[in-house]
Amino acid sequence: MDFILLFLFAGVPYYLLFEKTNILGKEKIFYFSTLLVVTGIIVSNITMETVSMPFVMVALLASLFSLYKANKTRNLYKLAYYILFFNAPMLLMFGVKESTLYGISLLLTLGGIFLMGKYYERNYGSANYKSVTGITLVTPYAGLMLTIYLTALALYPPFPNSLMFLNGILSSEINALWYITVVVIFFGNFLIAVRVMAKTVFGKPNDNVHYIDLEPKQRWLHLTIFILLLVLSIVGLQELL
Amino acid sequence: MEKLVLFIPFIPIVIAILIGFLNKKEHMPKVAIFFSSLVALLALYGTYHVMSTDEVIYGFDGLLVYNELSAILVPYVAILGLVIRKYSTKYMWDEPGYKRFFVLLNFIFSAIYLLVMSNNLIILTIAWQLMSISLYLLITFNVESKSAIKNGGWTMLVHKLADLFFIIAVILTYKVFGSFDLAHLGEKWLAMSQSGPIDDPLIYVTGFLFLFAAMMKSAIIPFHLWLPYTSEAPTPVSALMHAGVVNVGGILLNKMAFLLLLTPAVLNVAFVMGLITAIFASILMLAVSDIKRSLGYSTVGQMGYMIMEVGLGAFSLAIYHLMVHGIFKASLFLESGSLINSARKEPNVPKRLSHELFWEEKPQYNSMNMFRMVALFTVVPVVVFIGVKFALGEDFFHLNAALLILAFAWLTGTQLFLSFFEVTKANSPKVILTVISSFIIVLFTYEFVGLALEHFLYGEHGALLYKVATLHVSGTMTLLMLIAIMFIGWYFTYKQHFVGIPIGEHKPNKVQWRIYKILAKEGYLSDLYIKYFKVF
Repeated sequence: MDFILLFLFAGVPYYLLFEKTNILGKEKIFYFSTLLVVTGIIVSNITMETVSMPFVMVALLASLFSLYKANKTRNLYKLAYYILFFNAPMLLMFGVKESTLYGISLLLTLGGIFLMGKYYERNYGSANYKSVTGITLVTPYAGLMLTIYLTALALYPPFPNSLMFLNGILSSEINALWYITVVVIFFGNFLIAVRVMAKTVFGKPNDNVHYIDLEPKQRWLHLTIFILLLVLSIVGLQELL
Repeated sequence: MEKLVLFIPFIPIVIAILIGFLNKKEHMPKVAIFFSSLVALLALYGTYHVMSTDEVIYGFDGLLVYNELSAILVPYVAILGLVIRKYSTKYMWDEPGYKRFFVLLNFIFSAIYLLVMSNNLIILTIAWQLMSISLYLLITFNVESKSAIKNGGWTMLVHKLADLFFIIAVILTYKVFGSFDLAHLGEKWLAMSQSGPIDDPLIYVTGFLFLFAAMMKSAIIPFHLWLPYTSEAPTPVSALMHAGVVNVGGILLNKMAFLLLLTPAVLNVAFVMGLITAIFASILMLAVSDIKRSLGYSTVGQMGYMIMEVGLGAFSLAIYHLMVHGIFKASLFLESGSLINSARKEPNVPKRLSHELFWEEKPQYNSMNMFRMVALFTVVPVVVFIGVKFALGEDFFHLNAALLILAFAWLTGTQLFLSFFEVTKANSPKVILTVISSFIIVLFTYEFVGLALEHFLYGEHGALLYKVATLHVSGTMTLLMLIAIMFIGWYFTYKQHFVGIPIGEHKPNKVQWRIYKILAKEGYLSDLYIKYFKVF
């Protein structure tokens, strides 16, 4: 069961295979890994089993590799699934309930980032954010939504990721691996999110880019995600208190 | 009725949401000012209630509390908030992102209120982190500026580290003491402190983690760089940062005061770190060439004093200090912002309000008699004061806090004096008398306000904090050190301002040059950060 959960919770970086062989595109890798994580959540809730520490250690090593990849990429689709893989040790280390709640929050936030990737692709030709800087000033709705998602990813309240993370680490047993994993995931998420923020929502708007803000339909979609995040925050707060 | 006070942390969120829906720019500050006035009134009512009934207001299942600490700090933050919002109305008018600014400003105020009024470690953790992210978004408000974003990133890194230390400290507190409720924990810590020495290393680790988290947020050396390098933020944000945000370290340590009773070593480390910061940052303040960074270092130095006070057990004095310093710095920042704004519009050099009040020669204050009178009314009372202190409570001089209070009174007095009066070689007696007078005024204020605050905040337990923190230096030693500090300080002040220094003739030697180079380069700390921590 440990092996199955390790694989389902993105504890091994199987995206490498897909990226090298082009079997699945970037979007599909995200769908696939999300599907597996959801399956993992369901399986762990049915079996009520947690993963043993050596497997968490394997996931942590893979997670460090994903952190490196997330740091290199400028593509929002790739970023979404790299972050999912990066957080795998937490999903494995937490208890079933805490892992489920953290997993849902993470998937919801990454869903938001993925949709932002779609928006980039539709308006700027690709999900690459490299030259599309300073969106806070020129496309305020897109800037606001990306700020919200990245803030949630950086593990800041009032967003649920931070509350579920705190709930998870409070409930788990403290040992040397706990300290290492908590520090790596806590700072890793933050560093990725702040670096992306600095290159997307901040910066000088590029004169060579024709900026287009979120359409009303997309705004509603993002607003729904935001409301869901807030609902999860309330759940997280209840869990914590 | 009094329970309404507990809604204070949520009112700024309501303001932010309302502003989010407003389209007309001119309505935004009106909404913000109206509701923040309401907050200020509620805060004053809460303070009146706590003071008049001696009752603490609990609410939301004991998660929030309006206690003695809140009664002092919430009105302070509320009034500061009102002033900053009013100031921002015109100051930020032409800036892009007016709505974003007011929304973020309200979020950070909500976080500060929540932090002050929290009675639960989880709520405190949320407020602690909420403040970090709001601060980041405010510092990087000028999104087009590369340096603002880079420095904002550094700020965030330090604050994130503080968040991590804080979270681990909270988890350890829960594992060791089994509760998140601060009132309950306070009672437990107090009882434990009276039952004998504690030898559980986890308690010490927890104490140190809280101390380091506080030091990072209060820009204590070596975690200070974020403060002097973030002056690019809009002036109201700088005012808020220097008058409110950096103070949270002191607020946290006051909330954890009874835990620190169990860990005297933590208090001793706080004292040493505070002392190093106060000296180093004050020297850097004079050495750096950038005026904004100089102001930043001035705040770092003051935070050093504040942590030093905590390290000596003078917790209530730290609260008084952070409030007084906050008001002083906020007024400096806001006034300088207005000056820059008017300088852009007027052809003449604009006049400073404080300059008009204090600097300009006024015939009625010009006579020597005036200063003799001031000296008479201040020197005599201080002699009486020290005599009474010695006669009635010799213990005062056995506590290290005495040294700090007196030394700080002298430093603040001199600083105040040098800020407001022009010093010339011709009127040295007048100057010396004024320096002494300002020292005495500050000393009296500190002694009496400090004592009153201590009584209000900690009651009979205040003395316990001093006893735990004291380094057992004798009273005579304390006084000798104080006299030495005062004489050295006065000698330098005299040399600096009354002895003509021939410019160009005096060549510093190699050692002096090296020292100056180190100071001008801010101890190479910023270079070290840039070279080895290439994160952003």
